[in-house]
Amino acid sequence: MKKLLFMLVLAVASVSVLAGCSGGNALVIWVGSESQEFYAEKMDLYVEEYNSTHEEKFPYKISVLAADTGTAAATFLDDPEAGADIFTVAHDNLGKLTAGSSAIAPVTNPDLLAQIAADNPDPFLEVIKASVGGVEYTFGVPYVAQDLVLYYNTDYITATQVETWEGILDAAIASNKQALSLTGTDGFNNSFLVLARNAETNESTLKIYEGGVQEECYARGDDTVAVMKWGQRFFTHPNGAKAPTDSGWETELHNVISLSVIAGSWDFGPAKAALGSKLGVAVLPTFTITEDDAYGTVEAGTVFQSGTFVDTKMFVMKKNSEKAAYLQDIMLYLSSKEMQEESFEEAENLPAYKNAPIEFEAFLEDTVEAELARAQVEMFQYGMPQPFGYSTKFNTYYYSKGAPDLIMDILENTDDLFTEDSAILAQLEIIETIWKTGIRPE
Amino acid sequence: MQNLEQRVGKHCRFSRFISGFARFFRRTWNGMQKRIKAFAFRFKDGSVGTKLSHFVAGAGNFYHKQFIKGSLYLLLYVGFLYLMIFSPEVNSTPIGFKALINFITLGTEAGDIFTPTDNSMLMLLFGVVTIGIIFIYVFAHMSSISSSYKADLDVRDGRHPSTFKEDLNDLMDGRFHVAMLTPALIGIIVFTVLPTIFMILIAFTNFDSAHPAGQVLFDWVGFENFANIFSGTGEISVRFGPVLGWTMVWAFFATSTNYIGGILLALLINKKQIKLKKLWRTVFVITIALPQFISLLAMRNLLSEYGPINSFLINVGFIDQPIQFLANASNPWTARITIIVINIWIGVPYTMLMTSGILMNVPADLYEAAQIDGANKRQTFFNITVPYILFVTAPYLITSFIGNITSFNVIYLLTGGAPTVSGYKAGSTDLLVTWLYKLTIDESEYNIGSVVAIITFIITATVTLISYRRSKTYKEEDAFQ
Repeated sequence: MKKLLFMLVLAVASVSVLAGCSGGNALVIWVGSESQEFYAEKMDLYVEEYNSTHEEKFPYKISVLAADTGTAAATFLDDPEAGADIFTVAHDNLGKLTAGSSAIAPVTNPDLLAQIAADNPDPFLEVIKASVGGVEYTFGVPYVAQDLVLYYNTDYITATQVETWEGILDAAIASNKQALSLTGTDGFNNSFLVLARNAETNESTLKIYEGGVQEECYARGDDTVAVMKWGQRFFTHPNGAKAPTDSGWETELHNVISLSVIAGSWDFGPAKAALGSKLGVAVLPTFTITEDDAYGTVEAGTVFQSGTFVDTKMFVMKKNSEKAAYLQDIMLYLSSKEMQEESFEEAENLPAYKNAPIEFEAFLEDTVEAELARAQVEMFQYGMPQPFGYSTKFNTYYYSKGAPDLIMDILENTDDLFTEDSAILAQLEIIETIWKTGIRPE
Repeated sequence: MQNLEQRVGKHCRFSRFISGFARFFRRTWNGMQKRIKAFAFRFKDGSVGTKLSHFVAGAGNFYHKQFIKGSLYLLLYVGFLYLMIFSPEVNSTPIGFKALINFITLGTEAGDIFTPTDNSMLMLLFGVVTIGIIFIYVFAHMSSISSSYKADLDVRDGRHPSTFKEDLNDLMDGRFHVAMLTPALIGIIVFTVLPTIFMILIAFTNFDSAHPAGQVLFDWVGFENFANIFSGTGEISVRFGPVLGWTMVWAFFATSTNYIGGILLALLINKKQIKLKKLWRTVFVITIALPQFISLLAMRNLLSEYGPINSFLINVGFIDQPIQFLANASNPWTARITIIVINIWIGVPYTMLMTSGILMNVPADLYEAAQIDGANKRQTFFNITVPYILFVTAPYLITSFIGNITSFNVIYLLTGGAPTVSGYKAGSTDLLVTWLYKLTIDESEYNIGSVVAIITFIITATVTLISYRRSKTYKEEDAFQ
């Protein structure tokens, strides 16, 4: 009898465990963990409003869950059926989300399409679209914008010095510190040099998948070579920039090993923790080409502005969701101008709304947070959205096939292999080939 | 002459290896023949009910008025037929007969923006599951036939066919091991065998980042992924050799240093002259008491470029510039040696504890006999203590070596594979398993990851089998009984 009871308990326990694996039938929204509370409150208000203006109650329970926005796309693609109905991703994930027959649904609601067109800067309107089966659709609803800025130590770098890399280097030499730390050497973090552009014309010859065409990549322009030469001097100077170490940039900033770091708003918390009241935020500085760096048509004295990739975070919705009828109205609500302003004030999400700097009062306040917002918006004009949403391959080729390491080899002049202009040019040609084909030539 | 003997020895070993294989296949074939004959005999010899059981499970039990048992078999039969014929869908992908077709095609509907694409990954998975279900069902159906035939024999011998209650009592008593082992066996099939087969099959497809499941169909590609290792281009080809080489070097040193270090430490602590033995053991065991990842992260921070150890060395004037213990790209052996040393600190206490236990249990009469025979301490140590420890710890040594080949934590938490190798995902300290993690989790190259996993398995299985079979523990298994 005891054995029988034991078997029964075992069976019941097994069934309970398996039953616990099944989920409910809620409308699920994934947002960044920093905004989860904010959007959960807003969705409660949305349901209240819906119920007061409709005869029938909102048919689903809405569950707003915190997700890592950096990996949300990959998590969703692992099991789309179990994924959220609405989730937030950076726009460069669009390629993999819309590969083949697409895992996400296009936006079709005319009101939402009109709001997207009216509220967003032109570059964003391009990168939220993708072609599926030869037809172009709008998939993303932008609501947050991000790019790279400079966090610096105000005890060592003055407001004038921070305008140029030469000024920052002078400050570093004077205090025998390093001028700059990096948070990473990947394709996103090296954009401050790779995407640098002539400060006077605001142009560059560099092309990365221009117009969404795989072959439209170019990295061998005179300006790119000159920028790499300048970058090499900056990285090989004893007090210049330094590649990331296993101590972490936060330690380097806190222990005043480095005086500044290039990072995004997502790193604001750690930067503030490292520097406290000494934290300053600025747009990425300019630099001037010297006789040593001049190359081809780029003469000494030419000033370059550091560049950046500009990201927009956007809401997207699951394809073939059972709750499809309700999703676009929710996205219309969540991405409205008013919601973006509240999100900036309460959750410090930098809005994608194009007139935010002049229309949002919080932008004008005298706080480091507002300073960060202004710096980010100013950097938009020197940046470009990551052009990888057109195809799932672009992102992989640009980031994961070794090109960022080869750029660092030039900048650090690894094994003294890149002292000659021809070597730099040859390396840039290899990088360009990787961008185009994903294959590193032997 | 010696050379000739060696060659003859090698030839003999090879012959034994081949004859072992031949013996295995011969036994399997004989076993199958025996079962087929028994099956045919039962059909011929059995009652009408047993004959019917071959076509409808449970029919024989109904024939012998074993209604509950017959109903259960019939229910299983109907369920199986329903599953196979109607192929119900899970996540829009069928299980059953259709899954077998999908298993071959891996999907045909490419889909578009409004209609879904066949999910090749689920089709592969459900194909494997369906084959598993068929195997399990065939086993159950055979059991139904056997049950009916047993009832036939009972009737012939003048006994009444067993009732359901009697069967249940028998299952709870005389055959309790069957009752207990069946769920475990099913668990092993469902949670170990089927996922392993699924993983192996992925190595023969082009399931990668360019073919995300449910968006783009993927297909069978034969041995193409394995051939890529030898193609000479691409990450898998260029980095496989160095990563495999370092994995083996790491496994050897991580195992041997911990093993020898642990034994020496145990011998030292067990020496009569050493006082406060318990205290010393406790001190070393504290490393085990702390969660390993905390120890590893603490060591990483201590040894980082601007960490406390470098600061101390600079402050006392021992060095001018910080040492990159774990990230020196110009000399990856700095990081490799550092990791091995840290691993000693983490691993030695385990061997020390185990060896202490063994040392305390070495029969004292062995030492007394040696003493009477006039053996000195060195002779006693090398002829009694060492063989005794080796005999007992050989399986531990082997599992430790295998564990180190697949050691993920130490590398992932200390260096994450760094120093990086310019242009490639696999860094200088990446092992096959950490590289596998990067390929699958970071890069979604599931097919290549599966190839790496299979090769890792082949290496570990081969090393385990060969070393265990050659060990004294295996050869002289009865020595301790």
